[in-house]
Amino acid sequence: MSDIQQELRKTARELLESGEVGYIIGWGKGRFANQTHPIFVKDPAKVDELVWDDYCLSTLAKYTQDDKYPEKKIGICVRGCDSRAVNRLIQDHQLKREDVYLIGIPCSGKLDPETNEPAKKCVECAHRNPVVYDVLLGSPVEEVPQPERFKEVEELEAMTPDERYNYWADVYDKCIRCYACRNVCPACNCRECYTDQYRVGWQGKQNNRAENQIFGITRAYHVGDRCIECGECQRVCPMGLPLMKLNRKMLKDINNLFGAYEAGLDTETKPALGHYETNDVEEFM
Amino acid sequence: MSVDVEKKNVDPNWEPKILSFSCNWCTYAGADLAGLNRMKYPENVRVIRVPCSGRVNPQFVLRAFQKGSDGVLVCGCHPGDCHYVTGNYFTRRRFLLMQRFLEYNGIDPRRFQARWISGAEAGKFRDTVTKVSNDIKALGPNKKFQESWYKERGESNE
Repeated sequence: MSDIQQELRKTARELLESGEVGYIIGWGKGRFANQTHPIFVKDPAKVDELVWDDYCLSTLAKYTQDDKYPEKKIGICVRGCDSRAVNRLIQDHQLKREDVYLIGIPCSGKLDPETNEPAKKCVECAHRNPVVYDVLLGSPVEEVPQPERFKEVEELEAMTPDERYNYWADVYDKCIRCYACRNVCPACNCRECYTDQYRVGWQGKQNNRAENQIFGITRAYHVGDRCIECGECQRVCPMGLPLMKLNRKMLKDINNLFGAYEAGLDTETKPALGHYETNDVEEFM
Repeated sequence: MSVDVEKKNVDPNWEPKILSFSCNWCTYAGADLAGLNRMKYPENVRVIRVPCSGRVNPQFVLRAFQKGSDGVLVCGCHPGDCHYVTGNYFTRRRFLLMQRFLEYNGIDPRRFQARWISGAEAGKFRDTVTKVSNDIKALGPNKKFQESWYKERGESNE
């Protein structure tokens, strides 16, 4: 792993010295040994701040959204999830492929800093190798198939409607509407989120059950067909809400109704709700 | 905690509030024809005219439940007949998912329906609306997702 870190620093130094990229988005050491945070490295002398260890959990692609018209290319370290997020943003026309230089790093899963167990989002990850990159550091790792991708969803579906309602009502009661799930999500790239619009009346600002329910459902529905299953929303949620159970429900239905579908694997496949087939399932006759 | 406790205390004169989003080119014309033909359909259906069933944002449905609807109906032209050529194909995908997603969140699927009703199908409009109305009468008032629920007895959640 430290070999990759050396290689990452070397690549970063070369890229910055040659002026090919303006800056590199990577992971930097946090205050404690089990923490990292995203950093932006501009100065070739400071590439040693980049780290690659067991705790590089943050998905970095969303940070390109703060710099929509970069002077030079943006260098991003991409694992499987980051690379799918990049595809996602390119497909949504929020990022140009020629504006980014992707440093691919195969990832064999990260650790949860609190428990030192493999992080939930990494255990459920189906694409460990980057799907798009300009340079690949290290050698590809073995992909882990995920036959139980929708297991949690099926468990909930087996409940009665009232049980499900109460389960989700308890979840939404805890929500503090900090919008961390939205801020971190690479599919949530609207210039102005509907939750920030006022006078429109999509949704109230109150933090109560009824409004939280609407927020939770709408957030999951908005990202529904474009969710890359990086699990960041669930990881960053300060209240520990099981948000991926909502996202995966949408994906499960899309898979059942419209055929096998995974977002962000390439930039050509259209999102399920962005196109249609004339012979789609018909239930509304 | 259960939201269906109120079912027992339903006022015998209670009538459901049903919101029907109707496409201007087909269903609204169908509803108009039902009126011209002096067909009787339940008066607890409120028809909202929309340019196309594709105009109906899933958020409208959520907001309708939140603001006190007991049922929501989305009606549009038959696939292939859309005035805007493709609108209802998108509607179909959108609400197939929406129906399942609401069910996943605990709403009875009978409370949210989508139907294709053309401008000539006055009888189908009457039958659909009557069926939905009877279904929802049997289900009782909707307490899920409603802000009134929070206002009346949800303060303990704060």
